[in-house]
Amino acid sequence: MSDQKPIPVTYDLGNLAVFDTNALESDKLSINNPDREEYIKSISRDNAQLLINQILSLPIKTTTESNGSSGQSSSITLVQLPQPTTDLPREKPLPKAKEPTKWELFAAKKGIKAKEKSGKMVYDEATGEWVPKWGYKGKNKQLDDQWLVEVDDKVKGTEDELIDPRSLNRAERKKLVKKNELQQKRNLQNSGN
Amino acid sequence: MIRTVKPKNARSKRALKDKESKLIENVKTALFVPGATSNKALHDISVDLSALKKPDIKRFSKKNEVRPFEDSSKLEFFSEKNDTSLIVLSTSSKKRKNNLTFVRTFGYKIFDMIELLVLDNFKLLQDFRKSTFAVGLKPMFTFNGEVFESHPVYKHVKSLFLDFFRGETTDLQDVAGLQHIISITAGEALEGQPLPLVNFRVYTLKTFKSGQKVPRVELNEIGPRLDFAIGRYEEPSPEMLKEALKKPRQLEARTVKNIETDVVGDKIGRVHVGKQDLNKMQTRKMKGLKKRFDQVGEDFDDPIYDDEPANKKAKI
Repeated sequence: MSDQKPIPVTYDLGNLAVFDTNALESDKLSINNPDREEYIKSISRDNAQLLINQILSLPIKTTTESNGSSGQSSSITLVQLPQPTTDLPREKPLPKAKEPTKWELFAAKKGIKAKEKSGKMVYDEATGEWVPKWGYKGKNKQLDDQWLVEVDDKVKGTEDELIDPRSLNRAERKKLVKKNELQQKRNLQNSGN
Repeated sequence: MIRTVKPKNARSKRALKDKESKLIENVKTALFVPGATSNKALHDISVDLSALKKPDIKRFSKKNEVRPFEDSSKLEFFSEKNDTSLIVLSTSSKKRKNNLTFVRTFGYKIFDMIELLVLDNFKLLQDFRKSTFAVGLKPMFTFNGEVFESHPVYKHVKSLFLDFFRGETTDLQDVAGLQHIISITAGEALEGQPLPLVNFRVYTLKTFKSGQKVPRVELNEIGPRLDFAIGRYEEPSPEMLKEALKKPRQLEARTVKNIETDVVGDKIGRVHVGKQDLNKMQTRKMKGLKKRFDQVGEDFDDPIYDDEPANKKAKI
């Protein structure tokens, strides 16, 4: 049953592997030996037995899985394997941490903490409803569909005074979007190097 | 480097994300490439090897002119294009008959290569005509022979086969899923003699009651049965090896103070509690014990009651 070996075998139970370093008989392994297969099989059997003995002595967890329609439940016996011990190469290098953006670097230097997330919705005093800050029916688009818009004090006296304040507001929004895209692109380029 | 376009929909975005390097990696996928000189026997062998490795395989049907030991850029391209880090190239020539080149890649660059020449006495799965293993089960391994610990080439062979067939790494293994074992045997490497053959065998397990707790195991060969002679090989460069064996620090188990795991696997925690003040302990409530009935006061002066502690008084 439990076969004794001169040199005890080593295991890597995480990979379900057993390593037997006992000397083999070269003449029995030679390709001309008619009993070669039997020899290999007997060694493998002994090692398989040792491996199974080890695996079944690991902590066991039993779970029951109920198959809904038939009403039958079957239990699965699972053995808890340890971590693999054999060093095997990874497939790809370890993932790198994301490069900080220009703003993140600046904020760290100045000790500025990240703003607390306040959510997308904001309360509209005029209508008494919660509206999104941006996007469809967003708060930042409120000027777009007003029939009467006050001219901003900042614009008064400049050449923009005669332009529709609605389109001015829209242009401002578009400019911010462009700026942010540019910043994203620049950060991506910097992180690539 | 393959040009990558920014993903335009969620599905391609997910696919690209899956290709990225991760802390816990995907199962290594094997790619079987027939070389320009591949033949029927090698085709059958790769079909059988891929059956053992399924479902993490890709198989090319067209032949490709590749000479890995001279120019490996084509294999690196295949590796990147198909996201496979194990490549098996089959070629056959007068000098190297029935040759399988096992290539591993790391980050789409060649990690190591070894040529294993299949001897003519191979037997395929169909030659055994028995019930085979189920698809996708984790195999067990046995490496028989001292060379697998001592000789660099055989260490390579061990690492390769373990890496190739081990499949998913899990911490929970279904006992019913322990169905087949891959046995790899090699004799002693003696100086002045050619390197010993690597005998690749696959057996299914049959268990019998033994009267003891663990069952008695018998093996049944199901194939493929392959004898490999070692051909050329290329070891990984030391820098690449170091990089590839790095363990992510995030996955290391952190030792937490006062928490231990005992031999049985139970978690034991040690908690420190401050000293309890017994004078403030709540005891039985009775009307007669209320504070306003306390006789220890201005006019009543009993020496017996004076020295007694508060909790003793409650017992009366």
